Amino acid sequence: MSGATAVVSGALEVEALGLEHFYAGRRGLAAVSFALRTPGAVAVTGPNGSGKSTLLRLLAGLLRPTAGRSVVRLAGRTVEPAERRTIIGFVSPELAFYDELSCRENLVFAAEARGARGAEALARAALEPVGLDTRAHDRVTALSSGMKQRLRLAFALLHRPPLLLLDEPGSHLDEEGKALVERVVREQARAGLVVIATNEEREWRLAAERIELRGRGLGHPA
Amino acid sequence: MPPSGSNSVAAVWAILRKECRSEWRTRYGLNAALLFAVATLTAVSFAAGKLPDRTDLLAALLWVVLLFAALASLAHAFVREVEGHTLTFLRLVASPAAIAFGKLLFNLLFLGVLELVTVPLFLILMGAPAPRWGPFLLVLGLGSLALAATTTLVGAVVSQARGRGALFAAVSLPLLMVVLAAGVSGLRAQWEGNPVTAEVRILSAYAATMLGASLLLYDHLWED
Repeated sequence: MSGATAVVSGALEVEALGLEHFYAGRRGLAAVSFALRTPGAVAVTGPNGSGKSTLLRLLAGLLRPTAGRSVVRLAGRTVEPAERRTIIGFVSPELAFYDELSCRENLVFAAEARGARGAEALARAALEPVGLDTRAHDRVTALSSGMKQRLRLAFALLHRPPLLLLDEPGSHLDEEGKALVERVVREQARAGLVVIATNEEREWRLAAERIELRGRGLGHPA
Repeated sequence: MPPSGSNSVAAVWAILRKECRSEWRTRYGLNAALLFAVATLTAVSFAAGKLPDRTDLLAALLWVVLLFAALASLAHAFVREVEGHTLTFLRLVASPAAIAFGKLLFNLLFLGVLELVTVPLFLILMGAPAPRWGPFLLVLGLGSLALAATTTLVGAVVSQARGRGALFAAVSLPLLMVVLAAGVSGLRAQWEGNPVTAEVRILSAYAATMLGASLLLYDHLWED
C-alpha cells in the first residue's frame, strides 16, 4: 500500500454543527454535530435511511445542507465545500465510472482533471495495491461488481487524500477485498482521517470512534 | 490544495478529451447526427431538386438540418452523466464550471465536425450559389457558438429534473429562436451580397450573453 499512503501536511479537522439535510421535504439526515481530527478512523452507523450516505455526501461537498454546516480545516485553513474534492477520497455504491473507458483511462482522466502531474504513473500506482493492475486495460463494463468496488478504492486513493470518506467500502468484495479495505483504513488512520459509513461490524470495529445516527431517516416526513 | 486557474484549464482540457474518447468509442451522437443530416439533404434534393435562386429557403434549410441533426446529442451532454450515474465521479474531479466548459467545447467541436460534412454536401446537393466565405463562415461560426452555449447551459440546468426531455424542449425552443432567426437572415444576406453586420452583432451579443450567464450559473449547478 506504499503508493496509497495519505499525504497530510498539517492537521485536518472535520466539524459538523447541527448538520441536517432534507430531500424535497423529507428528512435525509437529522441534525448531527461532532468534531474529528487527524489521525484516526471514525465509523458512522445507523439504520437504513438514517442518513449515513447523506452525511458523507455533505462532508464531501456534494450536497448542500438544509440547516447547519460542516467545516473542514487543513493546517488551519478552511477548505470550502466546493474545494473539498481536492482533499478527499470518496467511495460510495453510487459512484460509477465510464463504462466505455478502461480502468486506467478512468483514473488517468481523474488525475488529469485534478491537474496532477504524472497521471499515468499515479493511475498505475493506484491500481496495483487494489489488485487491478492486470485488468488496467479492461473496460469498466467488463468488470464484476467486486472489481468495480476495487476501482472505487483505487480512485479514492489516487491523489493520496488526507480525508477518506468510505460508504459501505466492503460492498461486493470477497475476503481478500475486505482485507484490502482493512489495510487501507489502518494505513490511512495512521496519518490521515477516515470516516466509514457502515453497519458491518467488521468495518466499524476498525474505527476507534463511532457516530451512531438515530434519525428515522428517509421515508418519514419531517 | 484549492483549485487554481491552471487546474481549471487542465480540468476543461481533460473533460474535452474524455468526451471525444467516449464519443469515438460509443458513436452516441455523431452517427445519428450525420445520418439525419445526410438523409434529410438527400430527401430534399430528390424532392425539390437544386434551388440556386431560393437563397431564403437555402438559408433556412441549412440551419434546420444543422439544428435538428445536432440537437439530440447537444441536449444529452449532461443527461448521459446523470443516467450513467457518472456525475458524482465527474464532480469529484472537477468544478461544475470546468465540467460545463469542457462539455461546451466538446459540443462546439461536435458541431464543427457535423458542419464539415454537412455544409459541402448541402452546397453540392442543393446547388447553392458559392458562398462569400468570410461572412458565411462568420455567421455559421457565431451561430454554432450561440447554439452550443445555449444547449449546454439548458442541458446542464435541466439534467437532474424529472421530465428533462420535455423541459429541455420547452426551455430551449424560445432561446434558440433568436439564433435561428439571426443565422438564417445572415446566411441569406451573404448569398444576396448584402452586409451581415447586424446578424453578426446579434449572434455575438447572444453568444456572449449565454457564456456570461453560464459563468454565473455553472458554479451553482447541482447544489441539492
